[in-house]
Amino acid sequence: MNLKNKRLSDEAFFKEREEVLAGWPTGKEVDLQEAVDYLKKVPDEKNFAKALELAKRKGITLAQPRAGVPLIDKHIELLNHLSKEGGADLLPSTIDAYSRQNRYDECQVGIDESLKEGRAMMNGFPAVNHGVKGCRQVYESIDKPVQARHGTPDSRLLAEVIHAGGWTSNEGGGISYNVPYAKSVSIEKSLSDWMYCDRLVGFYAEQGIEINREPFGPLTGTLVPPSMAIVTGVIEALLAAEQGVKSITVGYGQCGNLVQDVAAIRALEELTEQYLKEYGYNDVVVTTVFHQWMGGFPEDESKAFGVISFGTATAALAGATKVIVKTPHEAIGIPTKEANAAGIKATKMVLNLLEGQRLPMSKELETEIEIIKAEVKCIMDKTFELGSGDLAVGTVKAFEAGVIDIPFAPSNYNAGKVMPARDNNGAVRYYMTGNIPFTKDIIDFNQSKLGERSEFEKRELSFQMTIDDIFAVGKGKLIGRP
Amino acid sequence: MEKKKVVLGVIGSDAHAVGNKILDYSLTNAGYEVVNIGVLSPQEDFINAAIETNADAIFVSSLYGHGEIDCKGLREKCNEAGLNDILLYVGGNIVVGKQDWDDVKKRFLDMGFDRVYPPGTAAEVGIKDLTEDLSKRG
Ligand code: B12
Repeated sequence: MNLKNKRLSDEAFFKEREEVLAGWPTGKEVDLQEAVDYLKKVPDEKNFAKALELAKRKGITLAQPRAGVPLIDKHIELLNHLSKEGGADLLPSTIDAYSRQNRYDECQVGIDESLKEGRAMMNGFPAVNHGVKGCRQVYESIDKPVQARHGTPDSRLLAEVIHAGGWTSNEGGGISYNVPYAKSVSIEKSLSDWMYCDRLVGFYAEQGIEINREPFGPLTGTLVPPSMAIVTGVIEALLAAEQGVKSITVGYGQCGNLVQDVAAIRALEELTEQYLKEYGYNDVVVTTVFHQWMGGFPEDESKAFGVISFGTATAALAGATKVIVKTPHEAIGIPTKEANAAGIKATKMVLNLLEGQRLPMSKELETEIEIIKAEVKCIMDKTFELGSGDLAVGTVKAFEAGVIDIPFAPSNYNAGKVMPARDNNGAVRYYMTGNIPFTKDIIDFNQSKLGERSEFEKRELSFQMTIDDIFAVGKGKLIGRP
Repeated sequence: MEKKKVVLGVIGSDAHAVGNKILDYSLTNAGYEVVNIGVLSPQEDFINAAIETNADAIFVSSLYGHGEIDCKGLREKCNEAGLNDILLYVGGNIVVGKQDWDDVKKRFLDMGFDRVYPPGTAAEVGIKDLTEDLSKRG
């Protein structure tokens, strides 16, 4: 294995860079020196990293939608609507799914078909095809910081294009944008490709330009236990910091039990800061993002607003720096700009009402934080051990061994032996722990919690329970009771 | 009696895996032999799997919105490959955005699909139709 958790040398980076930029004709538009000059002119209020840092200092939660359409003018119209009508604090550009697989020729078909049909035929904004010019046109036409949100295992060219285009944040990471989004990309390859993306951000940081990076916490969005999500966030944060990234937003997708979710955000922030310090990264600003419910949504729009508002309340009470907003169209399709703005308005209303309030510490909250931290420690310790101290090597081996194992992931590099289910209060627990090296105490805790539900429902713990939980929120309940 | 075979997969650059795993589980429980080619599957993979296993039906899922582009020409390619009367079903969130369902359904029927399902259809609905369609064919 060539992979090492070590800062890429300039020589290695610039050599790899030539190949990356040759991946599509728009790669030629990226001129690093010119991009540095351009990014230096980005005002603070349009810089993603600075906006997050300010929110953290003020103790408020910012609202950010997801949004992206194939054509530049329509995309600008969409973002301005979300900013002005919806009141979004931060803007996204969701990248289409062909770009995510680096199929830029198919993106061209999608762009052409969208023009021909007069409606969006793709699920996002093909930033590589639109190039630095197109990205700058977007950046210059909006009034808020903008981030690329996607799910691209190899995002190297995308990162080059968007950052040079004035977009000061990139979501993703070597685990979180591979395992939920790909089938046959090795962990080694995606970790290495994301080291490049992080190194690019590190390079900009050395020129005095702050760019934010955000691991994708929700993963498959499907009953991922908090500790598994947090492990990936901590690992991606450590790998990014090694490449010189100074602004990291670690994330987590709502599971649905208020106390467990608040515990998860608190544990996520504390553990990320603690691991960064322990490994000598002392100047990284850590912020958090809470994703409103990422699983199947109810079709009824009023019910969807209920889900959105509950997620917002949790984000606020947890003290997350940012909340990612869903829309009343979630169950059906890509939202219209109106539906998207409606989701943001509901979110902002709840955020305003809860400003300054936090869920106070309680015995229950303390217990949840402790169990999450204990679970994370088991997985992290083993991962470092497998890599003989090298986190990148350890991560590859941890996936091979099923020590890190993400439920419902499509990747062939994920063991798929872990199965989650909700306990009787709706908290997500490990029903089958696969090869995760948990202590007996942790396994017993999870089993006893699930046992309470099994007894209450008078049925055996089984995969059927997990399936019922997957459909439950869509059908109007948190727990999939028989 | 020999089990009927269904090729199951998620078409195009689509990585949504959860529905696929559940359809696999439900079809298998209902007594079908499932040939699951998984997510991120090009048209060719569906066709090759159907030929290799002599399948009775193909279940195409598309969740991410590119269904219209990804499914275009699948029926024609099946015919060219000699899979003349294979049952073609499609379901998921098959178009971009919230659109008039009758209109969407017609577009996919015109493409040559035998059955077209709206978002959130339970696996059981597709399975019931499949059992009926196959029994009609004898
Ligand atoms: C979980 C989820 C994700 C997870 C997926 C993790 C994974 N690898 O599986 C993550 C977060 C990674 C994700 C990513 C994306 N997602 Co997504 N996702 C969802 C969500 C919330 C739930 C999907 C799900 O798992 N449901 C549970 C399963 C059991 O149900 P199901 O998939 O619908 O399948 C059932 C039925 O539809 C039916 N069925 C399916 N196929 C077939 C076929 C036949 C023949 C039959 C009979 C039945 C049938 O049977 C299944 C079992 O009951 C939906 C919205 C929703 N439904 O609320 C969006 C949704 C599907 N995603 C969407 C999109 C666009 C994306 C992204 C492209 C990002 C983006 N632009 O927003 C990326 C995809 C990247 C890629 N390359 O594919 C859109 C699609 C929009 C559209 N069609 O217009 C949706 C609808 C959200 C939205 N409104 O925007 N997503």
